[in-house]
Formats: sequence, C-alpha cells, structure tokens
Amino acid sequence: MKITTSAAVAAPREHVFSALNDRGVLRRCIPGCEELTDVDEETFAVKLKLGVAGIKGKYAGTATRQDLLPPESFTFALDGKGKTGFVRGTAAVRIETQGEASRIDCEADVQIGGAIAAVGSRLIGAVARKLTRDFFRELADAIGAPPDVSDQNEIDALPDPGRDERLE
Amino acid sequence: MSAQAKKYSGQPLKRIEDPRLIKGIGTYTDDLRLPGLLHVAFVRSPHAHARVTSIDTSVAKAIKGVVAVLTGADVNEKCGVVPCAAAIPDLKLPKHTVLAGDRVYFVGHPVVVVVADDAYAARDGVDAVEVEYDPLPVVVNPEEAIKPGATLTHPDLGTNVAFTHNVNGGTDIDEAFRRADRVIKQRVYHQRLTPMPIEPRAVVASYHAGEGTMSIWSSTQVPHYLRTLLPGMIGVAENKLRIVAPEVGGGFGAKLNVYAEEALCGHLAMRLGAPVKWAESRRENATSTIHGRDQIGYYEVAVKNDGTILGLKARTIADLGSYCQLLTPAVPTLTGLVLTGCYRIPAVKMEIVGVYTHKMATDAYRGAGRPEATYLIERLMDLVAKELGLDRVDLRLKHFPAPTEFPFGTACGVTYDSGNYQGALEKARQLADWKALMSERTAARKSGRLFGVGVSTYVEICAIGPSAAMPAGGWEWGCVRVEISGKVTAITGTSPHGQGQETSFAQIVADQLGVSIEDVVVMHGDTAVAHYGRDTYGSRATVIGGTALVMCTDKIIAKAKIFAAHLLKVAPDQVAFADGQFSAPGAEKTLSLAAIAGEAYVAKNLPPGLEPGLEASSFFEIPNFTFPFGTHIVAVEIDRETGQVAIQKYVAVDDCGPQINPLLVEGQVQGGIAHSIGQALFEQTVYDENGQLLTGEFMDYAMPRATDIPEYILGHTVTPSPTNPLGIKGVGEAGTIGATPAVANAVIDALESLGVTHLDMPLTPERVWRAIHQRTVATV
Repeated sequence: MKITTSAAVAAPREHVFSALNDRGVLRRCIPGCEELTDVDEETFAVKLKLGVAGIKGKYAGTATRQDLLPPESFTFALDGKGKTGFVRGTAAVRIETQGEASRIDCEADVQIGGAIAAVGSRLIGAVARKLTRDFFRELADAIGAPPDVSDQNEIDALPDPGRDERLE
Repeated sequence: MSAQAKKYSGQPLKRIEDPRLIKGIGTYTDDLRLPGLLHVAFVRSPHAHARVTSIDTSVAKAIKGVVAVLTGADVNEKCGVVPCAAAIPDLKLPKHTVLAGDRVYFVGHPVVVVVADDAYAARDGVDAVEVEYDPLPVVVNPEEAIKPGATLTHPDLGTNVAFTHNVNGGTDIDEAFRRADRVIKQRVYHQRLTPMPIEPRAVVASYHAGEGTMSIWSSTQVPHYLRTLLPGMIGVAENKLRIVAPEVGGGFGAKLNVYAEEALCGHLAMRLGAPVKWAESRRENATSTIHGRDQIGYYEVAVKNDGTILGLKARTIADLGSYCQLLTPAVPTLTGLVLTGCYRIPAVKMEIVGVYTHKMATDAYRGAGRPEATYLIERLMDLVAKELGLDRVDLRLKHFPAPTEFPFGTACGVTYDSGNYQGALEKARQLADWKALMSERTAARKSGRLFGVGVSTYVEICAIGPSAAMPAGGWEWGCVRVEISGKVTAITGTSPHGQGQETSFAQIVADQLGVSIEDVVVMHGDTAVAHYGRDTYGSRATVIGGTALVMCTDKIIAKAKIFAAHLLKVAPDQVAFADGQFSAPGAEKTLSLAAIAGEAYVAKNLPPGLEPGLEASSFFEIPNFTFPFGTHIVAVEIDRETGQVAIQKYVAVDDCGPQINPLLVEGQVQGGIAHSIGQALFEQTVYDENGQLLTGEFMDYAMPRATDIPEYILGHTVTPSPTNPLGIKGVGEAGTIGATPAVANAVIDALESLGVTHLDMPLTPERVWRAIHQRTVATV
C-alpha cells in the first residue's frame, strides 16, 4: 500500500529536518509512542499503542534511517509488528522550502498484514491522515512554529495497483 | 412405494424445527458444557508465505489458566494429515499437516494451539506466543502462477499446477470451429466468495479413556465423513468414534469438510485427558474456513450466422488456494459436467487447470461448480444473441432439447434425466408479463433510463450422486422403526442443517405409513443413532435420503402385512393397507399399524418364521444424478449518477419435480437467490498482492441486506425424475445457480446502449459507474 502525505510547518527546512532527525522530538511527536530507544546511530526501536479501525493494539518495531541528504530528504526503513498484524516497508521524506515555511512530503510504501489488513485496510488512509496531523501539530509545537497548519495537510492512500487488475 | 393417499406430502407445512430455533433453545456446538472443559485457541499466520524461524511459547505457558501450548513440532507427527478425497488422476498434493511446520502458506494458517481453562486465558495465551517469520515471495494471481519461473506456492512440489482435467465430448471440436461462421470469445472471472454461515465452525471433543472411545461434536454438514476420515488422523477406530452434528447454523458447503481443527481437538482431548472446545471467531472464519468459486475462464463459441451453436471451447483456471481441502479439486470438474447448460451443443472441449496460490483453500460453496458453468453459458448465450442480432430468448429456445428427447445425453458426458425447459421458460415469461416488461424496457430507454432485463435458463446437477461418480459412495441410508407404542422413529443418514428435513421426512414417512405426522420423529446428525450416511450436500438429502426412508417403510408394510394376515387369519396376499389400517376381505376387524407394532414387540403370537419387531433399514443407490431446471427473469434499473443497481422485478420458475413441502422449496429458492444477488452485485473475497486478506469481516465483505432483496415472484413447473420413486429432484442450490447470471445479464442489458457487452462480477456501484463513465466519455 502506498500512502502519500503532505504537511506544512511554518519553520525553515533546516529546523524541520533536524527536528525530524531528533529522537527526543520524535519520541514526543509520534502518536501513541510509549517508548523510543536507540539501537545505533541510524536505527531506533519504538513501542506504540494505537487503534486502527476497531483494532486496538500494541506494536513494537524499528526505524532505520537511510539515504540521508540534509536538509532535503531521508528515508526510514520500517519494520513493526503487534498481535493484530504487522507493517513493513519504507517512508521517504522530502522537505522543500515554501516561502517562510517548509513543505514536507512523505511517501510511504508499506505492506500491512494480519488483522489490521483484514479489518482495517479500508480505514488505513483515514488513520494515517489523523496520525499525520497529530504528528505535525506536535512537531510544530516542538520547534516553536505557529501551531495549526493541519488544514494544509493532505493525504492520499492509494489502493494497491495490482489488487483489482484481474477484474478490470 | 405404497398407494397411500398423500395427506402431508405437497403441503406447505411449517417447519417442526423452527420453534426451538426461534425461541433460542436449540443446542449448537458452542452451547455444550462438559465438566472440566478446556478451551482451544489458535495462533495464526499473518503472512501468506513465510518461513517460521522461531516460536517462543514460554510466556504463554506461564499465563494462569493456560494448560498447554503446542506447535507443529509437537503435534504433526502424532496427528494425521488433512485429507483430500477428490479422485483426480495425477493430483499433486502438498502435505497438509494440522499445524504449520517450518513454513506458512496462507494468512490464517494455524501455527500454534493454546489450550486453557477458559476462553479468555486461551486468547491471552495466543497473544503471548512469539512467532518470528521470515517472509518469502508470494503468488496470489493464478494466471501468474502458471507462467514459467513463477513463485511457487509449495516449492517442494516444483509446480503450482495441481492438476489438469480435460473434458472432450460430442462431435469433433475442430470440425465444429472450421464450420463456424463466427467465433465469439469472452474471458470471464468468477470471483472468490466467502460462504459466511451465520454460525462459524465449532468443535467439542471428549475422550473416554476407559473405553478408548471418542465423542466429537462439530458444526459440520458431514458427521459420517468425519467418522470415516478422522480415525486415520487421530488413531481412534471408526467404531469407537462418535460424531454428533447438533444444530448447525448454516453450512453452504463450508462445513462439507474435514478440517485440521476437528482432528486437533480430538487429538488434544486424548493428549490432555480432558474435553476441549474450539469456537471459531468471525475473523478466523473469514481467513481459515474454505472459500468458494474463484475461476478464470476463457471461452470460445463456434456459431453459424443463424445462431446455431456448433461447439464450445473453454479453458478454466481454478484458484485452489494453498491446500486441497476435502473436495477442492473436484469442484471445478463439476463445472465441466454442465458446461453446455440446457442447450444442444454438439461439441465441447474444456481444459481445467487447478492452481495453487498463497490463499485459503477453495472448496464446495452452494452450487459448487454448477454456478460457474451456468453463469458462463448464460452470459455466452447473451453474447451470441447480441453479436448476431438475434432475440436471446429465441436463441435459447432454438437450442433446448424437446421434452420428448429425455433422457438427453450431452456432449459433457452426462444424461439429463427429464426436462421441459420450454415449459419453465414459458411460465416465467407469463409470470413476468414479458410483453409488458419489454415495452417498459423500450419506453425506459427512450427516456434515457438505464433499464435492463436479464434471462437465465438453467439446468443443474442434484442428488449427488451415483456411487460411480463419487469418491466413496453416493448412496444414502435410512432406518424406520415403528415403536411398541405405535410412534414412528425415522433415522436418516443425511445431516440436515437448515433444509428442514425433520419436517419433509416426517411428511414422507407419515404418508407412507398412514400415521399422524405428530407421531413421527426424525433423527439425524449423530453417528451413534444414524449409523451410516453420506450426509448433506449437493442437493442430495431429500432425493436420496427420502427415498431410503420410503424403502424402509415399504419393508415395514410388507412385514406388517404378514403380521396382519396372521392376526386376521387370512393369507398375506389378502391383506390390504390403506390409511394406516390393515384389512382383508371378510375379516372381522381392521388392524392399525400401532396394534401390529404392539404384537410385533410383545411377540407372544408371532407368525411362523418371522422375527419380532417392526424396524427396517435401507440403502438407496440412485442410478443417475437428477437435473432440476428453470428460468429466472430479472428487471433492473441503474442509477446513472451512482451506478447503483435496483432490482425492479424478480421472477423465478424452478422445476424440482414434485414438491414434498412447497414452503421449504420456496425458502430454499429465496435463500439461494439472495446468495446469488450477493454474488452478482456485492460480494468478493479480496486478497492484496501480498496475499493479505482484505475482506475479513462484514464491513469489507458486503453481504446483501434485507433492503437489497426484492419481492420475488416465484412459480414452478413439475417434471418428475425417473431416478427415484418420489420423482423428486432437489432444490437446495437451484437459486444460487439460476439467479446469478439472470441478475448479471440484466445489468449488462441495461448498459447495452453504452456499448457494454460484458462486466465481471460483483456489479458494485463503483464498477457499474466506471463502466458508465468510461463509455460516456468515450462516446462524447
């Protein structure tokens, strides 16, 4: 599943970039984050408590930073699982300067499995939208930017391109 | 069969079963409470294909109340493999262990079993088991799966092709295509469906160590199949194994199976020395109970310009999923038996390729193979009519065999027992007010409305089946006992689970013996009571099981006549039996069946050489399948803005021979059509490209709701079958077979003006809207 999200934060992109690579900021901003610990310089482990559709659960996983290109872009390789399913894939983050503010585009290509796919896949887009909004609201607060830019956030969860091809 | 007046047969009696079900006092498997009962839950794979790299059960085992946590390594050596009974030559079968070994092959594959004091501890135990998976490449598209170099579902099999089955029948197919003026081709996808019985599966197993006997209660359609096949899995002999199917809340083929969970529960009861219960959750039911259909077909019809169909070529790719369950590979071969439908099509060539993919197994689902055949021949008839500019009803009539031509041998190699296809079609047109309907269609179209009429004329295969066509016998067993009190107990080897045979069999037996229906009790579904049987599936129970009971009553009457002759002091051939009374010319009195039963058991005045008692059992072997048929006519209107299909009129005429209970027939037809409307318009089981099931509950798997179901106009014609003394044919699957193509044909007819000639199901608002939208854009 490909999930693309965009957000705007009223701060220079250098600030945004360093905030997105600051584990203290991430610990504070990631919705449902219960624990975020260092594994090594590029990898951190995270424990989350989240609800997707009717399925509430705890998830544990790792994020490994790749292709670091400050202050423009980086990618997280994600691998997480819980009792109700798993998520694995990549999230590519690109930050552009837009006047006084920064525009953040995130393109996630993830595989979702287990009960959260069977029951929640239809709602993943909406869940991602809410989580993104929450995340960037916190991020703006963390770096002292004006808070509410959520209405500029866009999200588009695309269905799997291969999913329906037999039927078309 | 005795010449009794029919007091009950043919009457629309309400079901004897209903009061207990309506009041909620029926006993389903999950209602059972045994002392010391343990509860079973499964850890299931979230991956479609993965290597299991480690399993840590230590935390789960430490949970209070958890009794056992077992993996494939613990049980697979001690419990036999899940059986496939389909007799397909050269079938490649993966070893289907009851728990996954070092690999998982579908989402929902059971990996670890947890047993606990209560269901909550069992679920906690499941959550505490840590399984590490190393994901492997997945193959989900069967057409990709058969290409060279495709990812293999089971690498050790070396191929994804489980079998190739060929049907070549009638005249020379190549000659037929050479003579054709045109060849019309179509690809058809018959989507995967989830049966969704209202009661998911459930199993209770109890082992009696002293006797070495086992009782298993299961929400199954096939207790006798379980009694035959579980001994090889759990090591309890057939005659020490009792299977009970209590109330069963719907099967539709999903419970025509032998599942790993049934064997595992038996194994656990023995291993742990305590009774165990497993009750499937709805999500487990979606991932781990069989699915239905899932065939991709490429079809070619050779026609003359006057519409004469010369031959039919088909290539079907059947998605079997990752394992063969009990009858998985047999289902698509049933498609090959009725591929030509109601029509005289002289030459047929069909290739069926069964393909493994990383999904749950497909198997028999209401109609099993025949809906696929009917759907495509009925779609093809419309395509041919459209292509040649012919009337689709005339085209059908042109290819019907005449009623006098039965028994009618088809190019598919079967012999249709009896039929009057013209009669059913004519009756349906009358009920639909055909002329007015077609005028309405014309008028609606003139005003720009998307209005369509669909027709399907179907024939199907019921009374499955003659033993020669079955893996292990297709007969049925019954036993009728007139008790000392005169009450009558009828025991059937079929296993009704919603079909209402406690009622219809009581009607048959009461009429045969001339007793009150209140005095008849029908027993079933317990192998300790119904010793032998072939259970309920394939619209077989009333035809074959009902006939077995008729044979029993014939034997009872014959024996009772000997008693009567002895008591009336006349020769046996002087005794007549009518209305429950035995009489003889010149005799002083008549004797009731109850009076004779009393004498038969008291046994102080037995006729010489005659055994006491008044009981008979019989096996009925049917000489051929039965072939019910009918015509469904549907009118739909499509909302151009939303693509929503509204059914305006639904007419169904079904001919299942004489009806024992018209109310039950109507119920079966109504339910079947609802199933069909679900398939035609809403339902589809969807896996993503990683093999993740996306339709795991009712929010995502769209079952039809009450508001989606129209008022039906139902009618019937009566063409008796020569295969059995009741002349009946079976009706359990007719609705699902006749209705799907009728609805689809109506929707496609409504889109005719937009240039649409075919759409694959389900015809959801989105798909219909896309068809409207694209065509509209293209023509602007």
